[in-house]
Amino acid sequence: MSTIGIIANPASGKDIRRLVTHASVFDNLEKSHILRRVFLAIDALGVPQVLYMPDYDGLVEKALKGLKLSLKADQLHMDMWADERDTTEAARQFCEMDVGCIITLGGDGTNRAVAKACSEIPIVAISTGTNNVFPSMIEGTVAGMAAGMAAREMVDVDRFTYVAKRLEVYVDDQMAEIALIDVVVCTELFVGSRALWDPHRIREIVLARAEPDCIGMSCIGGLLHPLGPRDPQGMYVRLGGGNTTVLAPVGPGLISKVDTREYRLLSLGEEVVLEPAACTIAVDGERQLEVFAHQKIRVRLTNRGPRVVDVRRYLYEASRRGVLRTVVK
Amino acid sequence: MSLTKEKMLEAYATMKKIRLFEEKVAGLFAEGKLPGFVHLYAGEEAIATGVCAHLSERDYITSTHRGHGHCIAKGVDINSMMAEVYGKATGACKGKGGSMHIADVDKGMLGANGIVGAGGPLACGSGLMAKTLGTDQVTVCFFGDGAAEQGTMHEAMNLACCWILPVVFVCENNGYAESTPWGYHCAAKNIADRGVAYDMPGVTVDGTDFFAIYETAEEAIGRARRGEGPSLIECRGFRYYGHFEGDAMLYVTEEEKKRNRARDPIENFKKRATERGLLSEEQIAELDSKVAAIIEEAFKFAEKSAWPENKEVLTDVYVNYP
Repeated sequence: MSTIGIIANPASGKDIRRLVTHASVFDNLEKSHILRRVFLAIDALGVPQVLYMPDYDGLVEKALKGLKLSLKADQLHMDMWADERDTTEAARQFCEMDVGCIITLGGDGTNRAVAKACSEIPIVAISTGTNNVFPSMIEGTVAGMAAGMAAREMVDVDRFTYVAKRLEVYVDDQMAEIALIDVVVCTELFVGSRALWDPHRIREIVLARAEPDCIGMSCIGGLLHPLGPRDPQGMYVRLGGGNTTVLAPVGPGLISKVDTREYRLLSLGEEVVLEPAACTIAVDGERQLEVFAHQKIRVRLTNRGPRVVDVRRYLYEASRRGVLRTVVK
Repeated sequence: MSLTKEKMLEAYATMKKIRLFEEKVAGLFAEGKLPGFVHLYAGEEAIATGVCAHLSERDYITSTHRGHGHCIAKGVDINSMMAEVYGKATGACKGKGGSMHIADVDKGMLGANGIVGAGGPLACGSGLMAKTLGTDQVTVCFFGDGAAEQGTMHEAMNLACCWILPVVFVCENNGYAESTPWGYHCAAKNIADRGVAYDMPGVTVDGTDFFAIYETAEEAIGRARRGEGPSLIECRGFRYYGHFEGDAMLYVTEEEKKRNRARDPIENFKKRATERGLLSEEQIAELDSKVAAIIEEAFKFAEKSAWPENKEVLTDVYVNYP
């Protein structure tokens, strides 16, 4: 239990949205620097071991270079594909090992790939992607402190986690994908560069979270009816040809007028059958599935997502309990 | 993505031409028919094809020592290419350049280049020309992961961004600079990240996925054409052959080779295009035959072409030879 698992996605923050919006490159050196601060905090908390996902860019190795730590950092033994399968496999191993906590560095897609294999272990999600709703912009040191306390059970983390909602995508009655934030029907036929930025190419959106203070598809719903991570509802939005327009930040610095035909709230367990057409289905902001007109696509809103640590509330509670306080007599 | 059926057919034919050209050259080199070195592009076809699909003859590219794919994608005549590789008088450069120096300025192909990293400054030159004359011509600079570490490329990217030149830098990261793994020689561990240093967008894309490259290049080239400045695209992929023909590739494990073969860019394209019903098996088969005939014709053309005459040694060396 006192082990921490780390999954850092080297690919996040580098897709086509650098070209079509005003998104920044999230460079991998900065990810390594964040990891370095995470490691130092975890070490200070006395966590004996950290396991981490290997990656071709060597983010963790770079972070550990020159650090003198008491903890043991070990790379998982696994095949690497240099795509999201690596993240899912690492999460599967962490779940099997029952680590105390998983720290992720990435975007919504990274956390979705974790959730595909593991929903039991609490996640501390640090944002290093582009349009992020799921992970938070947390300082690495703070995230490491929270993860260290959780792993060492210095404060019971269960009271400060919430269970994320999960959208399940069924293609011809087989579950093909999951999403933590949004499922989007895109009129493009190919996955291509994956990202979404043009509302004219989007037909339907199913949301687990509709947040007006975010960018991306979640915000479109958020401007119609806000829904947070703990609200037991989701939303279906049909775009195009309606009489309601929202002015939505669909990407960093990219604000578009989005025509919506209708929207309705969804209850947990409720399903939406998407309109049949040859299209791509995007999950959490990335085109992922190329589907055919004859295929039946259903999306179900559930509460089977991963457990997420509310770092702010958790650290406030730790303070109240004086967990890191020492009185010198 | 502005991808029509016609463009898809064209893209498939281009990728297939590159693959069959390289396979033919590999065989000819093994038979001892070709002088000098050859560096083959097989496995990277989706990059040159996906990028050059957005360029016209008026646009320019600069290339590398592994330049056959760029030449074909930019529309250089295949007969003249094969003859050039042979060193024959009918070659694109009268047989004086060989594999590493194929150029065809009329087609906007400013030359394959034996010097690693030499294409960047050349791309800035044609970019500056377009900007000065106020044309909408774009230059694409192809370079490898090895070239990414050369000072010339850093200078070129800096200059292009200072002057907001219509240049797109396309890094073909095939994993190995000759035999040195990319992770060993790249301190930052990511080439696209360097866009930050020069204030241009940096994007990483799967170098085996034609559709991803096509869509990304469309945006980067459009951006350059509109005068919005340079971009950096890092395409991550692999090469099927060694650094040069004769390289036993002992630095690549069998497992890695097997995995790469499973991600073949042409097979991937074919599968997805036919599943979508955009291309039929019959169309693919017809193109396969046509392309095979084109390559065979190029081989015959090169074989029967004459060698350059001795006096040619002194021509085309300087503008005015004394």
